[in-house]
Amino acid sequence: MELDSNHPGGSNGAGSGAINREAITFSATGSEYFRIWIVNLLLSIVTLGIYSAWAKVRRNRYFYSSTHLAGSSFEYHGNAVAILKGRIAAVVLIAAYNIAFQVSPFIGLIMFVVMAAVLPWLVWKSLQFKLYNTSYRGIRFGFGGSAKQAYKYFLWLPLLNMFTGGLMTPFLHQRLKRFQHTESRFGTSHFSFDATVGSFYKTYLLFFALLFGGFLVLIFVVFGSVFASFAANAGDASKAGSILLAIGALYLYAFTVLPLFLTMIQNLIWNHTRLQQHQFQSQLTWGRTTFVMLTNLLGIVVTLGLFTPFAHVRWLKYRLESTALLAQGSLDEFVAATGQQVSATGEGVVDLLDFDLSI
Amino acid sequence: MEIDSQPAGVAARYFDGHSSRLYHVNLVVQGDQALISGDIERRCPLVQLHVSERSSHAVRKVSFPDGAYLEIADQAAFNSLLHDSGHRDSWVVRLQQSWRGALLALAATLLALWFSYQYLLPLAAKGIAYALPVSVERQLGQGVLDMLDRHVFEPSKLAAARQDALRAQFARLATPDDTVLEHRIIFRKSKIGPNAFALPSGDIVLTDEMVKLMPDDQAVMGVLAHELGHLQRRHLTRRIIQTSAVGAGAALLLGDVSTVVATLPPLLLDLKYSRDVEREADDYAIAMLRHNGIALEHLAQVFVALGKLDTDTPYLSSHPASAERVARIRAAQ
Repeated sequence: MELDSNHPGGSNGAGSGAINREAITFSATGSEYFRIWIVNLLLSIVTLGIYSAWAKVRRNRYFYSSTHLAGSSFEYHGNAVAILKGRIAAVVLIAAYNIAFQVSPFIGLIMFVVMAAVLPWLVWKSLQFKLYNTSYRGIRFGFGGSAKQAYKYFLWLPLLNMFTGGLMTPFLHQRLKRFQHTESRFGTSHFSFDATVGSFYKTYLLFFALLFGGFLVLIFVVFGSVFASFAANAGDASKAGSILLAIGALYLYAFTVLPLFLTMIQNLIWNHTRLQQHQFQSQLTWGRTTFVMLTNLLGIVVTLGLFTPFAHVRWLKYRLESTALLAQGSLDEFVAATGQQVSATGEGVVDLLDFDLSI
Repeated sequence: MEIDSQPAGVAARYFDGHSSRLYHVNLVVQGDQALISGDIERRCPLVQLHVSERSSHAVRKVSFPDGAYLEIADQAAFNSLLHDSGHRDSWVVRLQQSWRGALLALAATLLALWFSYQYLLPLAAKGIAYALPVSVERQLGQGVLDMLDRHVFEPSKLAAARQDALRAQFARLATPDDTVLEHRIIFRKSKIGPNAFALPSGDIVLTDEMVKLMPDDQAVMGVLAHELGHLQRRHLTRRIIQTSAVGAGAALLLGDVSTVVATLPPLLLDLKYSRDVEREADDYAIAMLRHNGIALEHLAQVFVALGKLDTDTPYLSSHPASAERVARIRAAQ
């Protein structure tokens, strides 16, 4: 299949019909996922983590089968035994890494180099595993890419970015997303990605301007009142109170600006992603994202973690249902790629090291 | 969903696994065969089909061996079809789908977590720590003393003769179990006041301020016995194992949500282990003094003296409150 050109809503490509906005719907509920989560958690604990691979499969099957697009749902095909092997490999690798530094700095350094050498390859394999094991309408997704690209995007560019003091981060982010999205396939059809480096820089700049601008204002206002309470020789309680208030205000501000960044970057990425002639659309809003994230955090802290599954579903539901596919013509014409097998080792490591590749 | 014209028929959407084309079909079960008809016709033995797990909100799926599958939205009709064809949910699914099962799982989870934290983990950590050769623990502490010497300590102002006398006095004491790990007692002047601690390298560091704070040399012996207790009981290795296990557990449970939230429980949960370790070292010191016929009151005086500097509270401190420790030592007399 060939890649389309860059006019959203243009009439090139295979489809000839009108554009149909197909919003994703997510039918999972917190109460049902809570029951799946708690049973999974118990079985994972009593089996010393071995069951966690099966738990992951159960959870993903539930979430994928609850995600609907144009009347059909997604499906997860990950194999629990493969995931378990990946997790065991990951545990061994991570334990070796941690022990190496305790034993001697030199061995630690060697282990660090080993990790740096294998991680990009593992992350690449994990992307392949994740996409290969996702299907929609009976067609599996897939991920191409080469080891060379994996090392370029997951090792060399991040290293270069480190030496330039992080100034290349937006560039790196754009390149990573471009790599991820253009190498992704649905059957034989490739995704495409056309967000520019400039638009990433703009988003990052806006975020940092707001973050530091806001911090400055807050420091000025709130710490002004702290100094005032000190200058007025107020009691210890009121001094402590005003300091806590100041720190609380800074945290709260950070927690409202971070969702803005997530919102903008997610919208930027998906509004510039297409599957052939079908354009994606993402309409997250700052207010709603902030509300969901803050209430989720609060809920989890107040319930000592029991709210976690509800929070998970709320966040997924909001994110997924803000995404739509502007389908141009029929979705009946995708063709499956001839089967290819992928290993789950990367998946296990990426799971445990907690890389979020979705943003 | 449309109403089925046939009994035991369920409306379904069929995908062949080769293209994304949607076929509207009707599914019926005839004996040990499943039959679909409509946009496409197909027959397949029931044993070759895989049915996805029951759920009230996710779409149910029936997969064919070749990758084709059916999507079924009408849960009620499909459940009765499954029931009639003798399909049984797995026990995990039955547990997940009932609130009673889920609450039972919740209670069992809390019990398992508490039991592991309270008994299993300390026991396992102890087993592992004693199984590891001492040289492994010694490896852990390399470089710590150098770092402290650079930033916290100055050379001791105590006379060399006085240092040697204290060392010799402690060396003459017998340990309660008559085994003793290789250790070295070193003196330092510190910027952090009276303190004594054992390093995994086998060094027991005693600050000049601590020696001066002690009412008599027997009390200094009590302090050294306590620190030797930490070494003999492999406390450092045990703490490392316990702390990393609690940290890993919290990260797995809460890490999805926030790394900040996930770091709080380990900090709080570690306090119990920290106090347990101090108690064990106190017990070792009690046993050692008693073994050598030194009155325990000398050890009690250590904590009386420290207690005068102490502003800690028993709940948020890493050491048990001094008064509590004095009471324990006196009770052991």
